[in-house]
Amino acid sequence: MKRKFAQSCVAVAVLCAAIAVAQEPLPKAEAILDGYIEATGGRAAYEKLRNSVTAATMEIVGQGISFKMAGYAAAPNKKHTVIEIPGMGKMEEGTDGQVAWSLSTVQGPRIKEGQEKAQALLGAAFNSDLRWRELYKTAETVGVEEVNGQPCYQVLMTSNEGLQQTQCFDKKSGLLVKSRITVKAQMGDVPTESLPSDYKKVDGILLSHKGTAKVMGMDMVVTIQSVKHNVEIDESHFRLPDEIKALLVKGGAKESKP
Amino acid sequence: MRMLAAALLLLSLTSSAADLSPAERQRNIESFEQVWKTVRDRHWDPKMNGVDWQAVHDELRPKIEKANSAAEARKIIGDMLDRLKQSHFGILPAAVYEQVQPGSAGSLEGRTGLDVRLIAGQVLVTSVEDGSDAAGLGIRPGWELLAADGIELAPIIARIAKALEASNMLPLAAHAAVLHGLSGKPGSPVRLRLRNGEDQTVELSVPRIQPRGLRTQFGFMPPLYAWSESRRLEGGVGYLAFNVFMDPENLMKTAAAAVTSCLDCKGFIIDLRGNPGGIGGMAMGLAGWFIEEKGRRLGTMYTRETTLNFVVNPRPVTYRGPLAILVDGCTASTAEILAGGLKDLKRARILGSRTAGAALPATIQKLPSGDGFMCASASYISEGGKPLEGSGVTPDVPIELTRESLLRDWDPVLKAAIDWIKQQK
Repeated sequence: MKRKFAQSCVAVAVLCAAIAVAQEPLPKAEAILDGYIEATGGRAAYEKLRNSVTAATMEIVGQGISFKMAGYAAAPNKKHTVIEIPGMGKMEEGTDGQVAWSLSTVQGPRIKEGQEKAQALLGAAFNSDLRWRELYKTAETVGVEEVNGQPCYQVLMTSNEGLQQTQCFDKKSGLLVKSRITVKAQMGDVPTESLPSDYKKVDGILLSHKGTAKVMGMDMVVTIQSVKHNVEIDESHFRLPDEIKALLVKGGAKESKP
Repeated sequence: MRMLAAALLLLSLTSSAADLSPAERQRNIESFEQVWKTVRDRHWDPKMNGVDWQAVHDELRPKIEKANSAAEARKIIGDMLDRLKQSHFGILPAAVYEQVQPGSAGSLEGRTGLDVRLIAGQVLVTSVEDGSDAAGLGIRPGWELLAADGIELAPIIARIAKALEASNMLPLAAHAAVLHGLSGKPGSPVRLRLRNGEDQTVELSVPRIQPRGLRTQFGFMPPLYAWSESRRLEGGVGYLAFNVFMDPENLMKTAAAAVTSCLDCKGFIIDLRGNPGGIGGMAMGLAGWFIEEKGRRLGTMYTRETTLNFVVNPRPVTYRGPLAILVDGCTASTAEILAGGLKDLKRARILGSRTAGAALPATIQKLPSGDGFMCASASYISEGGKPLEGSGVTPDVPIELTRESLLRDWDPVLKAAIDWIKQQK
């Protein structure tokens, strides 16, 4: 009898908690996104940044595949990423703010188009967290979910080009703890889910130094080894490679338009 | 990958039994569960190719609990995977798996310098590496390989043929099994019994040598020696051959040089005979030298979550003349994707014999038992709308090698490709 009563209490408590969660008003996305800026260092700290150089390692768990990545980014929208995979060669991606391209040992040069290009340009927007109002036409808080046992607010963001991603910000710390995005690749749409963690302060800003991601059923781990801001970056990183220029010439340079 | 899979067939015939400790028994059970769950969660077809996967688990779980040896446990897990009736699912015994680890010493990497094919039921030498001891000993294409280190090949081939009677993979499996049997530590000899061109039986001791090419490895895929070569044949025909879709750095350089130096060639030949595949993306990268239009696809890969188009990226400069691709029963996986896709796009004429039909992409993961687990992760449909798995690529011009043609040093497949190119305007 006593046990049955206890079970009933638990059931009622769970029900009450569920109602409490359901009835809790969701904060506006604007407050969450601005809160993230504050939680990670504040607007002033972000505004000091002009560029970044990132070194990272990536591992595909259980497959014996690990590789290095180097990222170069500069305001307002220049980016160059270099990945070197043992046994597979080099893979580069970049944009000068107008042309988004990829160049790999395996597949050769390619100019990105359509939504893939739009996503590449969005990803190259420097300080994009700070500039979300400029880059996204809508941001809406759509719910609450648990990540690592802690509740977080889900914010659905829709870019000016219609690309969507859902980001989840920890209720307590305000930090980004989960991100869901469908990567627009030439080969097709690839849903990915990543869990940023291990936040460390760099130049006054808390940056995630570790991320786990699930891509096509495989688990990936990204570990940031260093992030440097406001350093001299050779401009060649943001120039179009010769192979990309050759493709532009072949295509009548029509791809060079933003 | 295919070579390794087929070699497992041979190894499975020689495994011995041994008593297990409770911890080893538990690791076998955990391995069984890991394999079952991985397939359940990752197989591209939620209906598991029509197999009641839960029932398979419930049937075999009691057996794995009672397995008294690693070999028995491996056989039970292999039996579970066999129920899917699909290639690229298999268990690599720990001894083999250790061989494929990055940085492994590769004690089985020594080769004789001979390549072989199963032709009309006989294991025939199809090429002898220039400068090798085998060449120095006078071994010639067309000779029949009868035994290696006292082991007769005919019964092994018969067992493989029986195991694969419903499959198109016999040439590939036989090739892999024989080459595996000939492999060993570089410098060590293997005693071969052969039937020469005069139908005489000869016995020769052939020292194993390091395979031709650059040792290369990607993830847990087995280390492979990759080579590529190109030349201009009679009548101004370009020719590109490579043994595996690995080492993209060098292969893509060879391909680029071959194509760009041959833009005025009357035709171009890609020789994919004996090529077991490798990195899938390289099919698209190579096709880009021969496709001018943007957006063309070789085919489509389906995982449970995604649909991936094998889109060809035209290079800044492309070869637009007649293209012939040579294939045989040992052409597999990525090589089939390239040949099948270019055939479906009506960009290439395919000559030779039907390919292996082993085109599923796969990865290898480590099991608690120490074994490796090869798991296909997607299905693949060529651009013509048909799967390559099982059926392979059917040549436009079927031509088989014979002992007679090999003994005459005559390559009828290559000759037919050159003749076809000469007929093109």
